[in-house]
Amino acid sequence: MADASLPIGSLDLTPEALAEGTFREYLHGWVTTVDHKRLGILYVLYALFFLVVGGAEAMIIRVQLMYPDNHFVSPEVYNRMFTMHGTTMVFLMGMPLLFGFANYLVPLMIGARDMAFPRLNALSFWLTAFGGILLYYSFIGGFGLYGQGSAPDVGWFEYAPLTTRTYSQGHAVDFWALSLFVTGWGTLGAAINIITTTISMRCKGMTMMRIPLFCWLLLCTSALTLVAITPLTAAQVMLELDRYLGAHFFDTQAGGSALIWAHFFWIFGHPEVYILVLPAFGVANEIIPVFSRKPAFGYTAMVAASVGIVFISLGVWAHHMFTVGMTSAANAFFTLSTMIIAVPTGIKVFNWIATMWGGKLRFATPMLFAATFVVHFLLSGLTGIMLSASPWDWQLHNSYFVIAHFHYVLVGAIVFSMLAGIYYWFPKVTGRLMDEKLGKWHFWLFLIGFHLTFDFLHVPGILGMPRWVYTYEASRGWASWNMIASVGGFIQFLASGIFVWNLLYSGLHGAEAGPDPWDAWTLEWATSSPPPEYNFAVEPVVASRRPLWDLKHPSDTDTQYE
Amino acid sequence: MSTQEQLAPSRSEGAHGGTGVVHGDPVQTHAPAHTDSIHLPRPTAYPIIAALGFTLLVAGILTHYVISILGVCLLAYGCVGWFREVLPHEMHENITVRVQEISIASARKSVGRLPGGAESGGQRAHVGVGAFSPLVGLKGGVAGGIAMIFPALAYGLIAQHSIWYPVNLLGGAGVSGMTGFGNPTMQDLRAFHMATLGFATIIHVISCTLIGLLYGSILPLMPKHPIILGGIIAPLAWTGILFAALPTINPEMSAHISWPDFLLAQFVFGITAGWVVSRSSYYRTAKSLPFAMRLGFEGGGVGREDGEDHR
Repeated sequence: MADASLPIGSLDLTPEALAEGTFREYLHGWVTTVDHKRLGILYVLYALFFLVVGGAEAMIIRVQLMYPDNHFVSPEVYNRMFTMHGTTMVFLMGMPLLFGFANYLVPLMIGARDMAFPRLNALSFWLTAFGGILLYYSFIGGFGLYGQGSAPDVGWFEYAPLTTRTYSQGHAVDFWALSLFVTGWGTLGAAINIITTTISMRCKGMTMMRIPLFCWLLLCTSALTLVAITPLTAAQVMLELDRYLGAHFFDTQAGGSALIWAHFFWIFGHPEVYILVLPAFGVANEIIPVFSRKPAFGYTAMVAASVGIVFISLGVWAHHMFTVGMTSAANAFFTLSTMIIAVPTGIKVFNWIATMWGGKLRFATPMLFAATFVVHFLLSGLTGIMLSASPWDWQLHNSYFVIAHFHYVLVGAIVFSMLAGIYYWFPKVTGRLMDEKLGKWHFWLFLIGFHLTFDFLHVPGILGMPRWVYTYEASRGWASWNMIASVGGFIQFLASGIFVWNLLYSGLHGAEAGPDPWDAWTLEWATSSPPPEYNFAVEPVVASRRPLWDLKHPSDTDTQYE
Repeated sequence: MSTQEQLAPSRSEGAHGGTGVVHGDPVQTHAPAHTDSIHLPRPTAYPIIAALGFTLLVAGILTHYVISILGVCLLAYGCVGWFREVLPHEMHENITVRVQEISIASARKSVGRLPGGAESGGQRAHVGVGAFSPLVGLKGGVAGGIAMIFPALAYGLIAQHSIWYPVNLLGGAGVSGMTGFGNPTMQDLRAFHMATLGFATIIHVISCTLIGLLYGSILPLMPKHPIILGGIIAPLAWTGILFAALPTINPEMSAHISWPDFLLAQFVFGITAGWVVSRSSYYRTAKSLPFAMRLGFEGGGVGREDGEDHR
């Protein structure tokens, strides 16, 4: 039936009120939901599940490398572990986590009732979910290089010619390519949705230069995703054409080029680092001002730096390939372009420090994680600058120094920031505060474990320990460093257990949070915790970047200064 | 759906109604609202069906074609169902709204102010309260570049018996691939080469100019001790970086360099360039001036009376 209060062309099909309470109805509600908040929660739970899975794979790797000449797992299983660990953490943990945050928060922050395309949003999540299931089905469904049931085992970037049928029989490589092909479509859908929502669904007064920095960062991430994912998807199709239909894109002996795969992969792969880290910047941009009791320093510069990072990050991919034998000009170009990216990222670090400077700092658990993120990101950036110099990279490429560097980025920066975000927005999602005591135990143990593992892994890298190595001789001098790193891994795993327990315990028994437990300033704190389906009963109208500050301090609004 | 709540933002200082526009209020609740219910997209199973269908379509490539056929069927069913939900009319459902007052207030009543102004020993509202003209940096770089030539040539003449030794090192060994000056002997380094002189001149001019411009930008940020920063700390820093990095980047060039003499030349450059820059006239940037003055208003009370340099 037509309803005059609805937009033209809409139908009101409100269902009859259902009897509440059965598990089937509850499950049905989640499976058929198109609500951005529920989908955001599903994304985050999915990501946390795969964080545990990928973490378990990392622990198997660390146990294997704990001692020289160790045979905790077979070489075949070890290869699967490092391949699946990398693939899982990037595609099934990192990206779903950022899209979960974006799904839940962007509409709330810009005063919208939902994402621009709610059904596409649901499709995107389920494609991501089923793609992950398909990848892990490979453990029982594929048979790989060694003729037994196996998951992909040639490294998370699947270099040619290892992926040719000659070296990878069975379907392990195909499971990797096709499952990520499926998740890739989900990723594209999510990115399109975030871009459209941010641009076209802002509430009145919410100009582009007033949206929270988190939304700016997610906009940048989504734009980068659209550009970066497509080459990977194309390369995966080409790889399958090679393997199934006899094409020779990556077959050097038949006129193709294995190097082309590396280019395709890293044209995706390096922007992917920024796809993962930009949302982490966004989380820090929201938490640091609130816990410093100061507005974010240099909003405009932060926006400009974010957009700058998007463009520069598209021109640095071949710094992953210095050792393939490029020309001097190419080496110089990619060295310089990589170093240049330190400028916008440096602006961000200075602005975070300037935000904290002179502020009334309050080190609750979210702020502990966010402040540590800044330190870790700075340190990982410094080793990144070292590796951007091609002569340095020639010495240390594919060594554990590189492993330590990028885990400093992925764990030290991204995971720390995302954990800060979970502690910060958990009260909004559940209506309950996370336990501070458990949170601090989690923080300190995770911090100690992280530094034991990844600080000390730089050293065997400099001493020549290559990545992917199955085991090593005692005479190499790598044993004690690996032992320390593995102990640190166990401590991180223990800390993660505390975190999971805190999530469960606080979700059920945590203190009531109220709508605005942190005395924050963005719109998501203007609604109840958890928010109703419609987010805001009336559309908000804002006049500055901190609408809740203006409401709380009517005699001293930000509108005077912006 | 009777448990939904309507949020009517209010302030502890006095809530205003949901339909009135109060000037100066950043968040207003005047938007035309659905007073009883809000229309949202109806939950649907078709996206998950379509996603499962697409996944099975792909999975069939790896397992059995029957799986792909099943996937195609599910994908088609999901798409058709989806389209019928949005075409010709999009399906919505009514969510009933229940009003609940949400108080938006802060327990922190006072607002602190950061002490302003570098003169008062407080935090500056603007970084870089003043600046040098860009030409000043250029002049400093040129002066420093000329000054450092003398200790460098003196080192060449005294220690290596040839003024061309440092010239060849800079112009030749640094870009050996381009000049055909690879693996030079001591004899080569002491002889005159037109190509290396050309390259050395280009490198010297560019680097001195750029560093001079950098001095013009940075020295205003540390106005109290420009000579210490520009003359001592900065040359020490870049010499340290080169000392650490050059053995990796270009071991042959590194082996021929006498680092104490190199450092002496850098000090001469830094002190000269820093001195030229810091003795030049210094002006306040417009952003540190009162807004009225920036707009060009004239008259008493719109700005500082003297208008002179304050450092």
